[in-house]
Amino acid sequence: MAKSDSPMLLQGTLDLLILHALGRGPLHGYSIAETIHLLSDQALKVEEGSLYPALYRLELDGAIKAQWGLSENNRKAKYYEITRRGRKLLAAQQETWNRLSVGIQRVLGSSR
Amino acid sequence: MRRLLLKLRRRRALERDMETELAFHRDMAAAHGNPTPFGSTTIIQEQARDLWRFTFLENLWRDLIYGFRGLRRSPALVITALLSLGLGIGVNTGIFSLAVEFLLSEPSVTDPRSIVSVVLGGNSHARPDVVEFVRASGLFAEVVGSNEETFINYDDGAETRQIFCVQTTRNFFAALGGPIAYGRGYVPADPDQVAVLSHHFWRTYLHADPAVVGRTIRLDGRPYTVTGILPRDYRTIVGFGFSPDVFVPRYLADTPLAISARLKPGMTIGQARAAVLTVARRLDQALPDQQSYTINTEVTTAGGFDRFHSQSQLQTVGLFFVMLLAVVGLVLLVACLNVASLLLARGSARRQELAIRLSLGAGRGRLFQQLLVESLLLAIAGAAAGLLLHQALAAGLANLQLPLPFPIRLHLQLDWRVLSYAILLTGFATLACGMLPAWRSIKRSIAADLRRDSRMRGQRALVTVQVALSVVVLTAGSLFLRNLWHAHAISPGFDVVHTLRADVNLPPAAYRDTAHKRAYVAAGLRALSALPGIQTVAAARIVPFTDNTIFGSQLTFPDTGRQVHTQFNWNAVSPDYFRAMSIPILAGRTFLSNEDDHSVHHVIVNRTFAARYLDNRGVLGRTFLWGDNKAPYTIIAVVADTKNMTIGEDPRAQLYENLASIANDRTRLQFVLRSATPPAAQLRAVHDALRRVEPNAGLEVSTLYSSIGLAFLPSQVGAVLLGGMGILGLLLAAVGLYGVMVYAVSRRTREIGVRLALGANRRDILRMILGSAAKLVLTGSAAGLLCAFFLVKPLALFLVPGLHPADPLSFIAVAALLAATALLACGSPARSAAAVDPGSSLRYE
Repeated sequence: MAKSDSPMLLQGTLDLLILHALGRGPLHGYSIAETIHLLSDQALKVEEGSLYPALYRLELDGAIKAQWGLSENNRKAKYYEITRRGRKLLAAQQETWNRLSVGIQRVLGSSR
Repeated sequence: MRRLLLKLRRRRALERDMETELAFHRDMAAAHGNPTPFGSTTIIQEQARDLWRFTFLENLWRDLIYGFRGLRRSPALVITALLSLGLGIGVNTGIFSLAVEFLLSEPSVTDPRSIVSVVLGGNSHARPDVVEFVRASGLFAEVVGSNEETFINYDDGAETRQIFCVQTTRNFFAALGGPIAYGRGYVPADPDQVAVLSHHFWRTYLHADPAVVGRTIRLDGRPYTVTGILPRDYRTIVGFGFSPDVFVPRYLADTPLAISARLKPGMTIGQARAAVLTVARRLDQALPDQQSYTINTEVTTAGGFDRFHSQSQLQTVGLFFVMLLAVVGLVLLVACLNVASLLLARGSARRQELAIRLSLGAGRGRLFQQLLVESLLLAIAGAAAGLLLHQALAAGLANLQLPLPFPIRLHLQLDWRVLSYAILLTGFATLACGMLPAWRSIKRSIAADLRRDSRMRGQRALVTVQVALSVVVLTAGSLFLRNLWHAHAISPGFDVVHTLRADVNLPPAAYRDTAHKRAYVAAGLRALSALPGIQTVAAARIVPFTDNTIFGSQLTFPDTGRQVHTQFNWNAVSPDYFRAMSIPILAGRTFLSNEDDHSVHHVIVNRTFAARYLDNRGVLGRTFLWGDNKAPYTIIAVVADTKNMTIGEDPRAQLYENLASIANDRTRLQFVLRSATPPAAQLRAVHDALRRVEPNAGLEVSTLYSSIGLAFLPSQVGAVLLGGMGILGLLLAAVGLYGVMVYAVSRRTREIGVRLALGANRRDILRMILGSAAKLVLTGSAAGLLCAFFLVKPLALFLVPGLHPADPLSFIAVAALLAATALLACGSPARSAAAVDPGSSLRYE
């Protein structure tokens, strides 16, 4: 159901992006999407349809934990926070991603 | 799993949270000018539910309801499944808990793991002063002794009967601890004559009256105060279901005792073993007898699994149970295949329903799950029936008096081990019943081509496998049956056909010294030999197959100065014993009836003793020193070997002394009689004659044949259990075959009608139907016999020597039995096929 006008996200990269965003501190769902949007210079847009299932999955895995809090405009919002397990996962995925992107770059570069 | 359940409980809260969160997100997005597309909320909720496994659980629940409804509409299927699986799971859990109880149960004492049994110098029992020596050594936290091989006379005012009594050291109950149902165990401070009663004895002879505690009962003519009653499921330290009637403090001065001890906290069995050797060494120095206590000294765990490591004969018993479990497992598999075959038939009837659901978009996985849930329901129902059967078996076994010379009562329990095994079996049954039918009905609903032939292939394959499995089980069963016959054919080394045995327990108060006992023996022999029809009468301390005491002794031969450590069975007999029992005297002569010269002891040894310890050289007249006796023993004869404990055992060394010249400390005596008339007809006369000699003695007269039942026990148990399982498996397979044949005939009615209309005669039809059945049975039995040929090889371990597992007679018998059953199962369907009316069968469609 990835109907989106931003580039399709590779499988698994969304987890990486979420964890990275949370690595800078606790955020609620909307601001996670915003952070990714801003950090990617508005190139990536995360739809709620993929964001929340990913968040719930990460929470089940124990990579992040959630807590109800008050948002900047004083509304009840659910804040997500990265756990120690999540940080390990982040490091591992980052490493994998780096290798993958370097590899892809090389392939694409050599064929040019 | 725990997290899953937690989520389930908080389901409402979770969904509410999710809605709040999404609403917040949408508001934020709207505020920032990013309206949300319609409908995406539902998708997120669906995905989240999947993630949290709610969908799975909901589906499972729905399948359960659906399956339950479906099964309610097909009672025949449910009843067959209940019976087949109930029987299968029932006998499986039954055998399993029998194995658990027999092999792994722990004695009813405090901290059973710390209890060990100690064997010194190869003697199963030690003298009381030796027990005291071990206790005083301080090596163990507690040391107790018990002699489990005593009969005592119980006099209830009307009759005197022998009951099974255990003599123990005074500290027995205090040191071991453990449960007492009423009252308390006796303690060292109690007077001499106190008793603790078993639940069985209390119920049988004392009307289960709790007020018995504190009162007295008469044992061996003396009043004993009852201090306590043991609980119903009390397990002795001997284990194996051994349940004597009464426990009393040791009352005979020299009763040898089996030593049990409690390890000190932190002491391992290895350390105990090493430490016991030092104690044994000190014993050798401290006690002035020839006995060496260091040789064959062992420390073994008293109960539980650890016993296996140290006792090799137990490992054989364990393997026997493993084999039994494998066999009943096969029977369960046959039962499951019956249900599978019914489910297959049902699946083809439901083809349309499944095809419609598939075309409406149901996932194959979902349908598969649904079909498996159905067989899960059947398996659970079967398991419930099986556990009921298990409880019935347990109740039956608890009241069963086994034909053994000692009291064995097994208390099967539905404990966690048995329940987990039942759950395991339920899972196994679910898969065995459901996998193939579910897979095939889905595949068939997808495939467009529905040829008639392929429809029956599944069922035919199942029946073939059933037949093959039954053959394996039957072959094992018939082997044990053959073993039973074979065992009967093996001579125990003495005559069991023409002989009787009288088991006498004299009142100890009146027969305190040896002279009194000798006088009784003489009077008894006189009275018995006066009976008409009695040819020979003899007396003995022990009749073979009733006493497993083994002497481990150091013998010294003065002529060569050689010392030999020997292990032998011992007996003391009157001169005519060998004639009465028909044991051939190979060399020398038997005892004289009055050997009053106590300066020399005459002994008779058996052939194995002569070969093993004397190399068969110069046996007659050979003398040796034994124990702390100064006078030498002289061998005056060699007799043939006899079996002593089991029919299949290797030859054992044996030594006989003259009953008239030993110092007889025990009041239990045996008479053996050889009768010219059938021995069973002499029972009453022998009983009355001995009653007249001593009215107050405990007395039991039986034919020798019936009193050595123990020897045949392993083959009997094997034959009964495996034979029963084989028959059960065969019946289940027959039901399966019958079902398939009925189904096949009903499917082929039209074809048969056409054939008949085209001129086939009824014999051809009969031949056609029987031929297709024969093909199934032949394929199945050929495969089964082939498997059996290899699978029963390890059974050689349990068979008497001389019987080979690949015994052709067993195989032929199985094949014949199978053919007969198959014919029976096919008879009625074949007849109904031959009776098809061509006219109506063609009009039918």
